[in-house]
Amino acid sequence: MEIKGEHEFSGPKELLYELLLDPDVLAGALPGVERFEEIAPDTYESTMRVGIASVRGTYTGRVEVLEQAPPDSYRLKIDGSGKPGGVRADASVELTENGPGTTMHYRADVKARGTIARLGGRLLGGVARLLIGQFFKSIEQQVDDRAA
Amino acid sequence: MTIADGPALPKLIGERVKRREDPRLIQGQATYVDDIKLPGMLHLAFKRSDIAHGVIRSIDTSAAAAMEGVELVITGAELAEHLGPMPIGTPFPAPDHYSVATDKVRYVGEPVAVVVAEDRYLARDAADAIEVEYDELPAVVDPEAAMEAGSATLHEGFERNIAVESYWGGTGVNPETAQPEDDSAVDAAFAEADVVVSQRMLNQRLAPNAMEPRGVVAHYEPGREYLTVWSATQNPHILRTLVAALMGLGEHQVRAVAPEVGGGFGCKINIYGEEYVAAALSRLVKAPVKWIEDRTEAFLTTTHGRDLLGYIDLAAKNDGTITGLKARIIADIGAYEVLLTAMIPTLTGLMMNGVYRLPVVRHELTEVFTNKTPTDAYRGAGRPEGLYFLERAVDMVARELGMDPAEIRRKNFVPPDEFPFATQGGLVYDSGNYEPCLDKALEVADWQGLLAERDAARAEGRIVGVGLSFYVEVCGLGPSAVVPTGGWEHSGVTVERGGKVTATTGASPHGQGNETTFAQMLADHFSIPLEDITILHGDTSVVKQGIGTFGSRSQAVGGAALISAAGKAGDKMKQFAAALMTDQEVSPEDLVFEDGRIQVEGAPEVSKTFAEVADYAYVPVPLPPGMEPGVSEEAFFEPENNTYPFGCHISMVEVDRDTGETKLLKLIAVDDCGNVINPLIVDGQVHGGLAQGIGQAMFEEVVYDEDGQPVTASFMDYVMPRAADLPVFELDRTVTPTPINPLGAKGVGEAGTIGSTPCVVNAAVDALAPFGVTHIEMPLRPERMWRLINEGGQS
Repeated sequence: MEIKGEHEFSGPKELLYELLLDPDVLAGALPGVERFEEIAPDTYESTMRVGIASVRGTYTGRVEVLEQAPPDSYRLKIDGSGKPGGVRADASVELTENGPGTTMHYRADVKARGTIARLGGRLLGGVARLLIGQFFKSIEQQVDDRAA
Repeated sequence: MTIADGPALPKLIGERVKRREDPRLIQGQATYVDDIKLPGMLHLAFKRSDIAHGVIRSIDTSAAAAMEGVELVITGAELAEHLGPMPIGTPFPAPDHYSVATDKVRYVGEPVAVVVAEDRYLARDAADAIEVEYDELPAVVDPEAAMEAGSATLHEGFERNIAVESYWGGTGVNPETAQPEDDSAVDAAFAEADVVVSQRMLNQRLAPNAMEPRGVVAHYEPGREYLTVWSATQNPHILRTLVAALMGLGEHQVRAVAPEVGGGFGCKINIYGEEYVAAALSRLVKAPVKWIEDRTEAFLTTTHGRDLLGYIDLAAKNDGTITGLKARIIADIGAYEVLLTAMIPTLTGLMMNGVYRLPVVRHELTEVFTNKTPTDAYRGAGRPEGLYFLERAVDMVARELGMDPAEIRRKNFVPPDEFPFATQGGLVYDSGNYEPCLDKALEVADWQGLLAERDAARAEGRIVGVGLSFYVEVCGLGPSAVVPTGGWEHSGVTVERGGKVTATTGASPHGQGNETTFAQMLADHFSIPLEDITILHGDTSVVKQGIGTFGSRSQAVGGAALISAAGKAGDKMKQFAAALMTDQEVSPEDLVFEDGRIQVEGAPEVSKTFAEVADYAYVPVPLPPGMEPGVSEEAFFEPENNTYPFGCHISMVEVDRDTGETKLLKLIAVDDCGNVINPLIVDGQVHGGLAQGIGQAMFEEVVYDEDGQPVTASFMDYVMPRAADLPVFELDRTVTPTPINPLGAKGVGEAGTIGSTPCVVNAAVDALAPFGVTHIEMPLRPERMWRLINEGGQS
């Protein structure tokens, strides 16, 4: 399934680009993260706890950051799995200037397996939106903190 | 008061006797597999693949094995040392299929490892703790793409994923080239036809969804070297044969028990990997083991049904005479061939003769492997698919010609004086009389009134349609020549001391009501009360032999065996009775059973009570010359042919213009299943079948995504018909007895799923015909219907 959307941030895109690829920021911003380690350049391993309905569980996964073109775009390859199944995603992120702020465009092709796949669009889309929303809120906070 | 002094006993055959098994079933007093608890029993859980296609790179069982209370963790490769590949029951070539995958997984849900633990929850947690790494392969999901060169393949040696290819028609197939020798008659018929309809139709994949999921308890007793397997199966005797074979045991070392079974619908014919694994692991861990399927596992691993794609061409003359049929059928059989997988789609072509004189046919069938759950029998098993294709096509011809759907069928019926009737496919319909059945259905439905009602509704702007279908199906499977397990059935009848009767049947019921119908038959045969009769089934240590229950064979084959055994027991009772009445010079031939007595026909004063005679049989002093004590007889019945019941279904639907939702307003079913033992039970069988047939037409569909991930593996996503979706069915019958068995009964278990599906879709197409719609794919989803209303065309 495809998950895509855009989000407005208040800060400049250089700042956003930096924040979005800072392991410490990400560790704080990703919902339910218990562990976020850089295991190789631009490759991270993470343990995340998701507490939503039937996809509840602990997931371990690997994130690779590819095709970095600061401050405009990058690509993420994500592979995670837990008891309710697994997710493999190929995501692209693009930042564009929007006055004093930045618009982030994201698009991910998500392949799920196990229970997660069986829930399909019925639940997965909603869960993804919820988690992404939490993530953006946290990044926004960081933007504001830096600005202050 | 003894029976002998009681009132005359009414005849029970043909009466609406309530099912004797229901009180215990609906009051929680029945024993299902999950109710069986043995001392020291361990529990199994399966680690299953969550990808559709891949090579197993590694399986790490260490965390699972280290858990407290886990007895054993075993992978497929390790288990293969104890269990060979599973047997199948068809003559077609099949790839090896192990109970637990050894090197490659081919569908989501396929087991890769097994845990044996102290309780069910621990077993499940341990299975979750097993880590499996795969090298993923591209999933094969579309059966037509699967046949193209360059597609990923599931099995070595099965090029282009083709499992079975068959052709028949014309004047036969050249065995050298496997090409049709001469089927120019088919092409000629189509060239000369006034009208030809051609339609691609999908008879979609369904999940059987028995109320009780599968389950097994296995107990291997070392020292005694004896295995007992309790399983939710339709055929314990077949289970015994196959489990014994795979375990390297003789049938004398295995007892199989089907306790109460909560529905089968064909999906519990197959003997599954879990059953073999439970038997093997009980022997390995020296303890009884249990596995109970959960609902998700049922969706993922219990065989699916249907999934046939048909390219159908039907030719006709302007007067409605059907002149030829071409059918190219592609069966998506999933990842493996299990017990009857490859045989089911072959029935589709055979039954596509329908009730019609069909001068020429051409059938092509290709069965294709895909990365999906294997298919096998599901209520109707091949016939609903064939009759759907045919009855949709006949309707399309009628629409093209502007003919009444009833009249085009009437015009092409096989007339009653042509039975037994040999079809193009080589079947011989035992009996049939189609026109009275059609007339009765038209009368019960008030066909002209329905059409007027539809037209009036349309004039008001409502979207209403009426549909009709006429089916013939095949029941009473055997004979042995066509059923790989043997096509007979067995029964035993014992007259006990005190004149009570215990009977056994190998037709193992799981909802068919044999305890009632078979008792009705024995009550009439011996003229004793129903309460004096017990019918035992489902246990190979009690029922000496048997085949099982599938293909609507309980009455037509099992009932015939029962009557044969009862005849033998009755003869012996009469001999003992005559011996008790030697002073009155009574001969056994003069005796009849009447109201609890054995009496000289027409002379009730010359009689003994049934109980007296039974007591004498067990203390036979003096023993009549040439006789053995006791009355315990058995019989096998081998049918010489199948039976071919038929029927006419009529329906009316309304589609909501704004939401696209289809509502079934009426369903009339007039079925002819030959003689009826218990009309209430026949009605119940028809009701259940209709619900499932309507379920296919309107609601149900197993869906996989492009990666082979099933997305309909829960009742939240797979739509089952609910009571509120169904109208009050209007049922009636005609009776054309079969000459194939002494009961004249044909079978009715699957009728409802065969007639109703095309009937409802025909009504839906009729409803949308004003929008230019000529065909609608099942299920009649609101979105699909809404689009057709708004965009027209086909779906």
